[in-house]
Amino acid sequence: MTDPLIRLRGVNKYYGDYHALRDVDLDIAAGEFFSLLGPSGCGKTTLLRTIAGFEGVSGGSVAIGGRDMTRVPPNKRPTNMVFQSYAIFPHLSVAQNVGFGLRKRSDLNDDARRAMVADALDMVGLEGYGGRAATALSGGQRQRVALARALVLQPKVLLLDEPLSALDRKMREQMQEELIRLQRHIGITFILVTHDQEEALVMSDRIAVMFDGAIAQLAEAEDLYRRPVDQRVAQFIGVMNFLPAAVAADSVDAPGLGRIPLDAVGVRARANDAPTIGFRPEAVTLLFPGQDAPDRVTDATVAEVVYYGDMTYYDVCLDGTDAKLRVSMRNVYGREVMEIGQRTRLAWSPGAMVLFT
Amino acid sequence: MLRAYVWLFLAFLYAPILLLPVFAFNDGTVIAFPLDGFTTRWFGRLTTNTELHAALGNSVVVAASSAVLAVLLGLAAARAQVRYRWPGKAGMMGLIMLPLVLPEIIVAVSLLVVAVQVFGLRLSLLTLVAAHTLICVPFAVAILNASFAALDPSLEEAAIDLGETRASTFRLVTLPLVMPGIVAALLISFTISLDEFIIAFFLTGSDVTLPVYIWSLLRFPRELPVIMALGTILVILSIGILTLAEWNRRRGLKRAGMDDKGGFL
Repeated sequence: MTDPLIRLRGVNKYYGDYHALRDVDLDIAAGEFFSLLGPSGCGKTTLLRTIAGFEGVSGGSVAIGGRDMTRVPPNKRPTNMVFQSYAIFPHLSVAQNVGFGLRKRSDLNDDARRAMVADALDMVGLEGYGGRAATALSGGQRQRVALARALVLQPKVLLLDEPLSALDRKMREQMQEELIRLQRHIGITFILVTHDQEEALVMSDRIAVMFDGAIAQLAEAEDLYRRPVDQRVAQFIGVMNFLPAAVAADSVDAPGLGRIPLDAVGVRARANDAPTIGFRPEAVTLLFPGQDAPDRVTDATVAEVVYYGDMTYYDVCLDGTDAKLRVSMRNVYGREVMEIGQRTRLAWSPGAMVLFT
Repeated sequence: MLRAYVWLFLAFLYAPILLLPVFAFNDGTVIAFPLDGFTTRWFGRLTTNTELHAALGNSVVVAASSAVLAVLLGLAAARAQVRYRWPGKAGMMGLIMLPLVLPEIIVAVSLLVVAVQVFGLRLSLLTLVAAHTLICVPFAVAILNASFAALDPSLEEAAIDLGETRASTFRLVTLPLVMPGIVAALLISFTISLDEFIIAFFLTGSDVTLPVYIWSLLRFPRELPVIMALGTILVILSIGILTLAEWNRRRGLKRAGMDDKGGFL
């Protein structure tokens, strides 16, 4: 990465004895859609507020656009924030809210300000709403006002603190797509804080997964999903099945699955390790009667069926084990959903397995 | 049964006050039934009494000054209470609220001793303003606490994020949103100071306030109906101001779309 827009080095933050951020190093490129993902209390919001300047650091440095910003207050940073509660000023109109940050711009006359406010409202799909009272808006509209209010200042970085968590599911999915489109259109760096792994996967170029104040893994969405570095990350991002395994010379042995060559899982395990084999529910397939598979096949019994309409989740027991493994299958027209107790075969490839040492 | 209890309770509270207007319009100097006839001359006497006017003027000056001081101090205390944590906070806030429950006679005597014996001050309206500020602060803090608690802290952060300083944020965002609370606190503090007798009795020198003047009138039985007339006006005024204060506070919250976290009334 050449000259990242945001560069954090060795950032630590203590609240009394509580270690909220642990040695965070982070580079974020200009124009990136970046997500901080983790469970509540993992430090993701603290990290976002550190970039915004609302939290000072106990150690380390924050640089934005090549300038050291560690001691710069939030009103002097080229960042703007969309707050979780939106923080729309209730005593001002929509236009006054959006124009709030332009007050300080002495180079603009009133006409220019008005035009910028109108453009910003257009951009978020609220043209003509300027005269309304901010309190008369729905949750989704407030969200848009908050976006317009931040974007009208053309910040280098837009910080979003769980901006979609207060919306219902339909609205959230719609806003996710709009945010992606908006970010591609204006090209500003977005940093999103979320506890929703799906939201992070859908929206981000890269994701940093945080636990206990530290970044556990930083990767592109697809890599993160396919190659989680440890079981904690794997469990937080989607669903993963785990099987204890034993290591032989050049393979691992998982009960029920048999020998898997180490080459296939791409990890060097040492002989004395007690590793775990993991795979995603959709990385394997259940064979329906009459079907065949090119690679490995293991006999199994259906133990549980969860029907989702487009998908069905099956819990299956591999023969010779009592571990239940989750497999997700797309429901295809003309094919019956399997029943509990039905005998089936699990088709899988060594390449779909992830080895955790 | 419960209905009867409520009516009895209300009668116990307000029946004596309802007697004020009854005798204020009674054409006779004896405060007793049967009534003698209707008159408005006691109210007429109020307009010509210059001592009364001076006392009223003193009361208004003292009440206005103490209300402003109490609200300024209350703003600082309430903001600290809602936004910050520090060691000994609970105790400190408790001490601020304590005058609410201290016997006024004790407060009055201690303040008299402090003012005269310790600081060697001459009793004046200034000493009274200081004392009334002390008893008004808890009320102001209670009202302003509710205002600050209803204020989303993100609003102030958003203003700073959008380029404002702490000072301009207070002016542009915090102040307009807690203004209904400030007005309510001013009105209630004003009323409390206006009605207060015991401390005023101890701490005023020759410039008496209205309640002290009323008390002095009691020595002249012929003046009793005048007191009734004055009392009627004061009761209506007090109820009016308190209603205005609460109405204003609720309207402000509603307009700002904030939750009512409980006011004083």
